Amino acid sequence: MKKFLSAGAVLVLCAALAAAVAQAGPKKQNAVNLTFATYVWQPTTVKAMNDIVAAWNKSHPSIQVQIVPVDVNSVHDKLLTSFVGGSAADIVHDEAADIPGFTQQGYLANLTPLIPKTLKAEIPKSVWDTVNFGHKITGVPIMLQTYNVFANMDLLKQAGIKAPSVAGPWTWDKFRAVAKQLSTNGNYGVCWGLRSPTATIQTLSLNWGGQWNYLENGRWVLKVGPAEQKILQIMHDMIYVDKSVDPAGVGLSGSAVLPSFFAGKCAMTIQGNYNAQGMIEQSPKGFNWAMFPPLKGDSQDQAANPQTLSISQQSQHKSEAMQFIAYALNSQNMAKLAAGDWLIPAAPDAASIVVKSTKHYGSWRAAISAVPSFKKANWVSLTPYPQWKAEVATPAFRSYLSNQISMDDLIKQLTDGWNRIRG
Amino acid sequence: MTTVPQPRRPVMFRGARTRAGVGLSGREALLLMIPALLPVLVLSIAPLARGIYLGFTDSRAGLGVPTHFIGIDNFRALVHDSLFVNSFKIGLIWAGSVTAIQFVLALGLALLLSQPLHGRWLARSLALVPWAMPSVLVAIMWKLFFQPQAGILNEALYRAHLPGSNIDWLSDFSWALPAVILVGVWMGMPQTTVALLAGVQSISDDLHEAAATDGASAWQRFRTITLPQLRPVIIAVTTLDLIWNFNSFGVVWVLTQGGPGHATELPMLFAYNEAFKYGQFGYASALGDAMVVVISCFLVLWLWGRLKETSR
Amino acid sequence: MIVSPRQKRTRAAQYAGLACYVVFLGFPILWMLSVALKGPRELVELHPHLIPKHITFANFGEGLHSYSVLHASWNSLKVAAATSLLTTAISIPAAYVLARRRGLISKLGLGWILISQMFPLVLIIIPLFLLLRHLHLTDSLVGLVFVYVVWTLPFVLWMLQSYVRGIPRDLEEAAIVDGAGRLTTLRTVIAPLLLPGIVVTALFAFIQSWNEFFFALVLLQTPSRTTLTLQLARFVGIEGIVRLGPLAAAALLATLPSLLLFVVIQRFLTRGLLSGAVKG
Repeated sequence: MKKFLSAGAVLVLCAALAAAVAQAGPKKQNAVNLTFATYVWQPTTVKAMNDIVAAWNKSHPSIQVQIVPVDVNSVHDKLLTSFVGGSAADIVHDEAADIPGFTQQGYLANLTPLIPKTLKAEIPKSVWDTVNFGHKITGVPIMLQTYNVFANMDLLKQAGIKAPSVAGPWTWDKFRAVAKQLSTNGNYGVCWGLRSPTATIQTLSLNWGGQWNYLENGRWVLKVGPAEQKILQIMHDMIYVDKSVDPAGVGLSGSAVLPSFFAGKCAMTIQGNYNAQGMIEQSPKGFNWAMFPPLKGDSQDQAANPQTLSISQQSQHKSEAMQFIAYALNSQNMAKLAAGDWLIPAAPDAASIVVKSTKHYGSWRAAISAVPSFKKANWVSLTPYPQWKAEVATPAFRSYLSNQISMDDLIKQLTDGWNRIRG
Repeated sequence: MTTVPQPRRPVMFRGARTRAGVGLSGREALLLMIPALLPVLVLSIAPLARGIYLGFTDSRAGLGVPTHFIGIDNFRALVHDSLFVNSFKIGLIWAGSVTAIQFVLALGLALLLSQPLHGRWLARSLALVPWAMPSVLVAIMWKLFFQPQAGILNEALYRAHLPGSNIDWLSDFSWALPAVILVGVWMGMPQTTVALLAGVQSISDDLHEAAATDGASAWQRFRTITLPQLRPVIIAVTTLDLIWNFNSFGVVWVLTQGGPGHATELPMLFAYNEAFKYGQFGYASALGDAMVVVISCFLVLWLWGRLKETSR
Repeated sequence: MIVSPRQKRTRAAQYAGLACYVVFLGFPILWMLSVALKGPRELVELHPHLIPKHITFANFGEGLHSYSVLHASWNSLKVAAATSLLTTAISIPAAYVLARRRGLISKLGLGWILISQMFPLVLIIIPLFLLLRHLHLTDSLVGLVFVYVVWTLPFVLWMLQSYVRGIPRDLEEAAIVDGAGRLTTLRTVIAPLLLPGIVVTALFAFIQSWNEFFFALVLLQTPSRTTLTLQLARFVGIEGIVRLGPLAAAALLATLPSLLLFVVIQRFLTRGLLSGAVKG
């Protein structure tokens, strides 16, 4: 019995010791050790990020950075618990639409005094506006995405349809017509994964100037007017009136419809432009795909919602953290990251580097051509937005697109939900 | 095996041995309990008390944000919160359905396993497997099963020319909850089957034989002998299952995250979102308090059932 | 013995019923195995088959590699081992008290055991989280062990006290009458007889901690400190059907340890648990 107990005690001590050691991690003496929480997940981007960090660590022995990967699907939750739990990383990777809440809760450091002038000048003001909360900047923009049409060029050629050019993009009406034309013989014109449709819907609303949130008497209200309803109407009608959208794909996430697209079940699909990377990796041999320039409503405007790097207020080494951020986001490195993720860099200089140095020149031209179309969207900087999006908007949009509720019900749910959460 | 020392006292002193000689003194008992008592007080009872109290405060996330006592404001807000009402509705539907279906299936399996059939060992072992699997893995497994394009369920329906081969089960507004209930039933089979099997096997064969010679059919024997004998087990297992299922989190969270559109949002999932997505700790605790009230109702039912049992 | 046609039909129906159960219980696992053995191109096909056209074991390698399964398993192992040893160690004396002494303490103890099974975890996780934050034990395996110890304690106490009850009092009485002190009695009489029960209970606590998800989800953030269940849950959301193969393979591998342990203890488990459930 004694032997058992003492063996057990030794084991427990070993386990506890091992656990403590495991937490320690590699540390250099007399160096500032920064943790960097990032949710990069595409293998190419992960490699690019690792290379950047390794190069930094080599050239800056007194400031060592350690990457802490975060699951891309639960970034908000993980950040919140780490902020509340006091275990947040020094440098935090998030997106502009998600940081207003954290800013208001005081978890993100004010970067305005810390940002070096060169970094400030690299990125256009319109993009800086997305991370500016009453003259308090709490994130540095990295890269942005647009929603584009990806098409199976073989099927289009068969039907005698010509691809749009950067100078002459398709309008939504043209897109609808083409989709209808290609919906024959059990196949569909479009596969559209609309499980998480909120970002898509709101971003594309800017084609008609739909800002969703407006400042009225000093309060931010939600209005679903004709401009906001336009894209919803188009989506709904394409699914249920034109019947040009594969109904089986509507409940799937954006990229989960790719197998149908590859199999030729649908001729086109609307995806975030970062899916070009997925196309390259997963498409079958000989599959002839192309990415089109953004579609045009009244304009080609899409909402700017860049990925961002922030510094947590609890960090003990804010200026060192900013040094790293400035390095990671210089033109060369920003281009590397953007190229890996097939996203559009926030800095035009980085954008030109990307266009010159990557394959699929045609698709990158289409992507970069969208840069002038980025506009500030009001909802990106509002504190109640993340909760409204997750709790109210996404379920309501899904109900509407599944024909469970009418447009009037949808508008009521959205506005009531916004008023309740905003308080 | 330790040999027990034989009492060497003379016979006349044997009568002096009383039960009280072995009894633990209060002091001894306390000392022995302390290693377990301390962690329980610090990490279980104290937090639980505080958790209940938090339901009456406005505690939330934020650097240096103070917490104030706000009385029943949270509960007033809860009652008007359609999402809260929805989660409770889903919770009760889920708990009721899973418990009921699980009970019927487990009873059937328990009855079968007590018959002399070849290959029972396979069914018995398989019945225990869900216990050994973490809820996350069960969810992954069933996600693969329900996968609309590459999953076997839709493929089987397609080949059998049955309708529904296009449905994305876990994303469909009407089918997500039933699909998730099926998984819940699968997960809960072990505990219910084991309990019922033990109950069934403890019914003496004599009763059955006597009834059989009296000409009772299998169904009559089941109704008049098996069921009544099983009553205490049934009540205990069903109540426990109801409570466990109402509190369920892991499986549904991994399967659907409460979607589509709150269709499978169990109370615990709603509470998790409120607490760890939106940082509303006070509100989430109020929800927990409300769940406790419901669970207490289940407990009261069980106690009432047991009281009726013992008074028979 | 002549078997009547009616009895034959009943037997056939019973076998059919048993077969249905076997399919219901076993098929999902079989399907997961099928997915694990399929290559990426075959997974993307629109009409899948149960038996893979080309069996490949590549998914297992990739699953282990890309999901850091080995490292997460190591974390789970450390946490589960520490939890089961600690919980069992502190429970043994308490279980003895609960089984032997019918006073207020044991009533309260048994009451707490029952009630703690029924409380929604959300009530306890928030204050625990805030408490652990003061101790700087959030996002740490040590903090997780503390939480697990308290979480597994009820079950462990319940099982151990029912095992202690199974030991006849006479043996203790005899030893005490012979002048043995309380601790000596515990050591020489109770403990050896309790050993099989202790082993089963410790293994059960191990499995419970190994499989736990909710507390780990809330408390752990850094991937280097994830447990296995948490690690696999991360990868469920990631898009791409192609990734399902390695995920299925990793999931299968993750089930093996607890499955094996479970097979080992299942005979003892049913006996131990039930002695409390039905009569208790």
